[in-house]
Amino acid sequence: MRALGKAASDDDRPLIERVRRGDQDAARTLYERYFDRIYNYVYARLGRAEDAEDLAIDTMTRSLTRLDLFQDQGVAFSSWVYRIAHNATIDHYRRHGKVTLVPLDDATLPQSADPSELAMEQLSNEDLRLALRDLTDEQQQVLILRFFQDLTAAQVAGIMGKSVGAVQALQHRALGSLERALQGRVQHRALGSLERALQGRAEN
Amino acid sequence: MEALAERLRTVEPMAPSPAAKIRGWNLVSAAVQQSATVRSRGHSVKRLVLAALAAAVLLVGGAVAASADSLPDSALYPIKGVVEQVRGALAFSPSDQLTYHLELAQTRLTEAEAMIARHRLDLASQALSAMDDQLGDAAALVKAEKGTDPAIAADLENRLLQAIATHDGQLARLQGQVTNPAAQSAILKARDRAAQAVQVAQTSNNNGNPSPNGKGSGNASASPHPTPKH
Repeated sequence: MRALGKAASDDDRPLIERVRRGDQDAARTLYERYFDRIYNYVYARLGRAEDAEDLAIDTMTRSLTRLDLFQDQGVAFSSWVYRIAHNATIDHYRRHGKVTLVPLDDATLPQSADPSELAMEQLSNEDLRLALRDLTDEQQQVLILRFFQDLTAAQVAGIMGKSVGAVQALQHRALGSLERALQGRVQHRALGSLERALQGRAEN
Repeated sequence: MEALAERLRTVEPMAPSPAAKIRGWNLVSAAVQQSATVRSRGHSVKRLVLAALAAAVLLVGGAVAASADSLPDSALYPIKGVVEQVRGALAFSPSDQLTYHLELAQTRLTEAEAMIARHRLDLASQALSAMDDQLGDAAALVKAEKGTDPAIAADLENRLLQAIATHDGQLARLQGQVTNPAAQSAILKARDRAAQAVQVAQTSNNNGNPSPNGKGSGNASASPHPTPKH
């Protein structure tokens, strides 16, 4: 069961005004509301707890101290926070490099297996997380926001600055890419198991 | 693909460690506090600057207003001169320029009377000289206009001569009131220079001869000193 905090809403507005006046309690409420979500988002992107902690703290610091830059006109505070987190992630990639930048639509992953045969129950959470990081930046972002963060397509559209239709199309392509990435991992793992079994039998 | 989407939804979220969360709040809290302080300082500086600007505007505006009636022995008198120069720069038509010179001549004459009353003969002499400068400029304006538009020039000349006649009347009365020889000399000199302005205004722009246009020039055109000099 998910344990993420409450999604952003109109409730943010009065808190934002109070934070602008230096109200620590309001800042604490917003921090509690968003920190776990942002940590989870960044962790899903980077896969390292230390980096996720640093970037989540950095994101919350920027969000709550640069409220003068936040204009509550059409863009929800939550979208703004996620955008800051996204930009922080991109900056992190630039500084430290990213493992995979090749779009999986064009990658040479195994295409032979039938995706419907992918046994979901055999996939570990770690499988999913690792395969997710093989996707393009936008594909990762849309899947994490839609399925890890439980945001609606409209909310994701607001965060990514795209139309709802574009988000839905991107989500569809991202799921396809993720399936192929998982197949590749499953096949690779199956081959490894087979090799180990054959090797054990030969030794016996 | 739907199954994959559903599977993704079941992935347990990664939670930060309690220590990380506390560390994060400590950092965020300090940053928020500092940010609020800086913002408050910024607002204070803005308010201070606005207040200073408002005070400056009031000060300058008040000084300008107060200088309007200042006399040559007043500290505000230089401001009056600046304001007059600005007014002059904004007078574009010959008629407006003549009005400007005649008003300033009248102002200088009033100042001269006040300075004589206060026994500031030096300042009175300067005011009378400035009055004649304005009349001289007005006369030159009339003369120049004769070469451009004789009809307008005739109207300007008429206004100038009437003004000089009025000033000469005031100067004559003043001359009768003062006993100080230096003051009397200054007034006499001013009347002479005003009479010269009349001659300049009546001179044709082309040949240097007095203008044949004597109509409507009143008694001032007939005599530079309509009132006796004594």
